[in-house]
Amino acid sequence: MPTVLEPVTKPVIKKKPKFDDDLAPTFYVICWNDPVNLMVYVTHVFMRIFGWNKQKAEKHMMEVHEKGKSVLVREGAEKAEFYVHQLQNYKLQATMEPTE
Amino acid sequence: MKLARQKDGLWQYHLAQNEADVLVGLLKKFPFTKIDEVKISKTDKHPKAREREKLLNESLAEHRKELKKLAQALIRPDKFKRQEKGFLMTLSLEERETMLQILNDIRVGSWHVLGEPEELHSHAPQTDAKDLTYRSLIDLAGYFECALLELED
Repeated sequence: MPTVLEPVTKPVIKKKPKFDDDLAPTFYVICWNDPVNLMVYVTHVFMRIFGWNKQKAEKHMMEVHEKGKSVLVREGAEKAEFYVHQLQNYKLQATMEPTE
Repeated sequence: MKLARQKDGLWQYHLAQNEADVLVGLLKKFPFTKIDEVKISKTDKHPKAREREKLLNESLAEHRKELKKLAQALIRPDKFKRQEKGFLMTLSLEERETMLQILNDIRVGSWHVLGEPEELHSHAPQTDAKDLTYRSLIDLAGYFECALLELED
């Protein structure tokens, strides 16, 4: 008598995140343009806070100036908040926006 | 005001007598404006964003108080060494950052008082005393910021 194979249903395995942080929301730290902060000053602040070289800092400064804003970094809540505090201490218009 | 030398983490600037008078005057009278509330996000509607915003504004108020204290320390007589023509001002790295933050606080605060104009320099004759004062503060603070950042790599 031939054996009848029962259909096999593959179990659905949910992909587990590697780290708990994978579930944590992330934020863009954005600097917005204004007519009062000097270009040389904005470049200096980016170099100081993010440790960027002058070329990278100037690229982001020009983006702020020409496009109205620049996404500076993408970070978890705590670090993004830290950067916003630092930038605001220098009176740059910085915010943190959820990535999703 | 001109950078004289930068060595071993110290910045030294030459200032003419009138420049030193104005800079000391700015630091002595800081702050010139009330602190403004800021937004931490333009899009985040989560309740946590409101908590973060409250914390940010509290932190900025504390920072302003600290800057006020540090401004007084920056005008100690030993910071300004008299020379044949004017003064030699010596700043550590931290003091230079503090001075930049104070000057930019003056600049941005004055801009807020003026109603955040897109054009900082009006071509129309200025007759309003308040307007003139804050426009002058913007220019003076900007002058010293540029001088502090001269030749930066």
